[in-house]
Amino acid sequence: MPVWNVQNVGHLLSRTLFGYSKNDLSVAQGYGTFSDLLDQAIVKDVALPAAPNVWVNTVPAASQTTSGETDAWYREFNYWWFKLMQKEGLNMREKMVLFFHNHFSNERNKVVYPQNMYAQNVLFRKYAFGNFKQLVKEISIDPSMLIYLDGNNSRGAAPNENYARELMELFTMGIGNYTENDIKQAAKVLSGWQVSGLTATFVASRWYTDASVTVLGKTAKFDLNSLIDHIFAQKATAEFICRKLYQEFVYYKPNEAFVVQMAAVLRSNNYELKPLLKFLFTSDEFFTPAYIGSKIKNPTELMVGATKLLELPTPDYINLYEMSKLLQMQLFQPPNVAGWPGQREWISSTTYSYRGGFTDSLITGKRFNGVAVTGKLVPVTYAQTFMNSEKAVEFVDDVSTLFLAFPITAKKKSFLLDTLLGGTIVKNWSTYLPGANVNLQQFFKAVMRLSEFQLC
Amino acid sequence: MKKELTRSEFLRRMALLSGGVGLGISGIPGQAYGTLPTGLSASVSGGNVLVIIQLAGGNDGLNTVIPAENDTYFAKRPDISIKKVDALALKGGMYLHPSMTGIKTLYDQGNVSIIQNVGYANPNRSHFRATDIWNTGSDANVVLEEGWAARYLAEKYPGYPISMPLHPMAVQLGSVESLLFQSDVGRYGTVFEDPNLFYQLVSGTLADDEIPPATLAGDELAFLKQISSASIQYSTVIRDTALKGANSVSYPATNLAKQLGIVAKLISGGLETPVYLCTIGGFDTHANQLTQHANLWKQISDAVSAFQNDLKAQNKAEKVTLMTFSEFGRRVNQNGTTGTDHGTAAPMFVIGNTVRGGLIGANPDLINLDANGDLKASFDYRQIYSTILTDHLGLTSSSTSTLFNKTFDRLPIYINSPLIAEKGVRMTLLDPAPNPAFGQVRIQFAVFEAMKVELALYNLVGEKIGLIYTGDVLSGTFTFNFEISTFPAGTYLVSMVSSTGDRISKRLIIVN
Repeated sequence: MPVWNVQNVGHLLSRTLFGYSKNDLSVAQGYGTFSDLLDQAIVKDVALPAAPNVWVNTVPAASQTTSGETDAWYREFNYWWFKLMQKEGLNMREKMVLFFHNHFSNERNKVVYPQNMYAQNVLFRKYAFGNFKQLVKEISIDPSMLIYLDGNNSRGAAPNENYARELMELFTMGIGNYTENDIKQAAKVLSGWQVSGLTATFVASRWYTDASVTVLGKTAKFDLNSLIDHIFAQKATAEFICRKLYQEFVYYKPNEAFVVQMAAVLRSNNYELKPLLKFLFTSDEFFTPAYIGSKIKNPTELMVGATKLLELPTPDYINLYEMSKLLQMQLFQPPNVAGWPGQREWISSTTYSYRGGFTDSLITGKRFNGVAVTGKLVPVTYAQTFMNSEKAVEFVDDVSTLFLAFPITAKKKSFLLDTLLGGTIVKNWSTYLPGANVNLQQFFKAVMRLSEFQLC
Repeated sequence: MKKELTRSEFLRRMALLSGGVGLGISGIPGQAYGTLPTGLSASVSGGNVLVIIQLAGGNDGLNTVIPAENDTYFAKRPDISIKKVDALALKGGMYLHPSMTGIKTLYDQGNVSIIQNVGYANPNRSHFRATDIWNTGSDANVVLEEGWAARYLAEKYPGYPISMPLHPMAVQLGSVESLLFQSDVGRYGTVFEDPNLFYQLVSGTLADDEIPPATLAGDELAFLKQISSASIQYSTVIRDTALKGANSVSYPATNLAKQLGIVAKLISGGLETPVYLCTIGGFDTHANQLTQHANLWKQISDAVSAFQNDLKAQNKAEKVTLMTFSEFGRRVNQNGTTGTDHGTAAPMFVIGNTVRGGLIGANPDLINLDANGDLKASFDYRQIYSTILTDHLGLTSSSTSTLFNKTFDRLPIYINSPLIAEKGVRMTLLDPAPNPAFGQVRIQFAVFEAMKVELALYNLVGEKIGLIYTGDVLSGTFTFNFEISTFPAGTYLVSMVSSTGDRISKRLIIVN
């Protein structure tokens, strides 16, 4: 059993949530056991949010793109989701919604209408802790997915292979577990669907007419339901999704022996996710000290997490939206059907620099290009929420422990202390000094500019 | 296969031994070792540059270089084929897509080599696995974790990452670093979208020369610090070089053209980076492909043509080769949604002043397909990589073979690339280039055994009016730049006869 201590609780929160504040951490510590913290907070079913606006039910029409409405709606949709993340408390549902958005990657460039993308987002929220097999069945005829992977208008006589391939390669089994012929045959079974507006309809005359097809070694007159059941009967399927969960939540290089254990849990629970998540987040494997601080934050974790950490009551979601594009994680616009690869792929010379520019902006109130950012940090007020705010050395210790999952060296700590003091001496430090505001700005910028801040 | 931990541990120790010059903080000039690194040959001049354009999504080769005289092509693609009358004629029944007028002009100038049917054995049809294969230069069944360009750069910059050269080793226009430049000792690429903005962004980054501990999290931290050090070091030289450089032509307002414009400016300003990567996406044309594919190739063709003209005007074109690649071609048959599904072999373009120009290899065979209904490759993609590495970037043949763990036959892509013997052929004479010609013409031939040859220019009544070369030659490829300014305009024949009794003639039009 993992030890219940502040470091382990922090590790659990940093992986299951979009970052946390010092208050979140102390509330979590109040639960006393991992089992209670999970059941009563992290994987608890909570009420579904209200829709961002009435456009979600507006039938898609080309005029909405030319008028710029779809762009405006996507923005509103983005802000809405950022806010759900920012206000998630100790519940990991939104993290699972993002996991599924990445897993069943759809791009707004091709889907076009936010109405369809929103319906898909609702589906992910419905199944955040639910049944993965059922989710695959429903996503296969989700209008956004049908548009994105060309299931829309695919006919049995000359089917489009796009969805069948990605269903097997990226959504269920993984590469190497099927043949090109399995794809061709499954494409027939998956044909016959047409999207019209907000709904998808099955048109029997567009379906395949073969008496039977052979997929993954079984010959039958498959339909969507029996095809997905058959895919889920393959050993590779549970392991594939468990491996991906492991890479997202534990460490990017999977421990295959543990993935096999996870898959057994998932199968024995008939693909229900909640028992699997509980198993994972109470395992010794998850709390292995070597994994702590080994994840490179994705841009959403970095951005939402920083606003939570700095306890910004009204962060500027426009800033997050604009920076999400530059940091290469624009929601609803993953790079391709494989989604965002994560970890080191987030980082290049450019994105690394933009990350520093983002954290600066929360403190200076200005984006790298000079555009104003609202809701910025009030440094003195924030600093004074720390018990040790008037003791420079202890304050630096407390802030670095809270902000950085990776412990920093004494040399770096003394650099941070010098930045905070800005010429004065430890004995004279106070947040009530005339220059304290500027010193604290420099100090918080510097902490968040450390490479260590990119890890969680 | 993964040597990651041991090698990074080795570097960590090296960094400690060298007095804390951790992970390439300080700038030691890349050429400080006086002589060439062992893997580089002196026969190819230094400072050559390769610009790679990645066509992401799987380019439909058959609608790019089109067999527009082949009935099977039209039968298999009733709704998405492109007619001969609309397309741009190359030769031998092959045509370029109608929107590729810029590339066609370069082709006519002899600056475009098109290698047909490029792929590899047991092709993979997954976007992601196939892209990795092309980026790493592996066999289909081997997973490599290092890009082929990174392995070349490791040879060229043996000191990295202990020391870093003054100029970036590789530049990628974009935001997410390609596997092409990744290796287990670190990233070789500097990635940005705009030189000035990049400089501004980096200015707030903190320099940090601490060496992280050898833990899982420490490895990630070391990685982050390596990227930040490289950014600090290279953002200044990139900005300064861009300021010094210029574009001599205006570029179209497309993303790819912007990328190539920046590359041209950096080359013009004297950046010593040997490899650049630009990217254009949108090639996964499963549905309604005609308009989209036409737009994409118009963008590429216009951008490449501006780039090439820019370099020519600035006298930099001799140093630069541009190469396209895509993870796969597409199915010969159209699908039911007026698009094409994932396929296999496709043509590659190698463009520049030093290429020989023309089509290489037989036209695609649309009847003798693989079991999946896809084209069979006639060339391995690493033949093109190998040829560029040896004949343009100056890597020795043996280092090139080591890099791919295999020796690939080079292709006659460059003027200096050796010609390949075909079965039962003792000698080859290429078409004179350019043709029509004025002033000077390039005559190239190869013999595959020792013989005596005579090359001469004849007029159409059969009179020998000029001697190009006569003498004994050993097996090899030979090039002559022949002065023609004294001959009146008209049609002539270049003839090659040999002591083995072979004779080849090529038509030459002189337009003095």
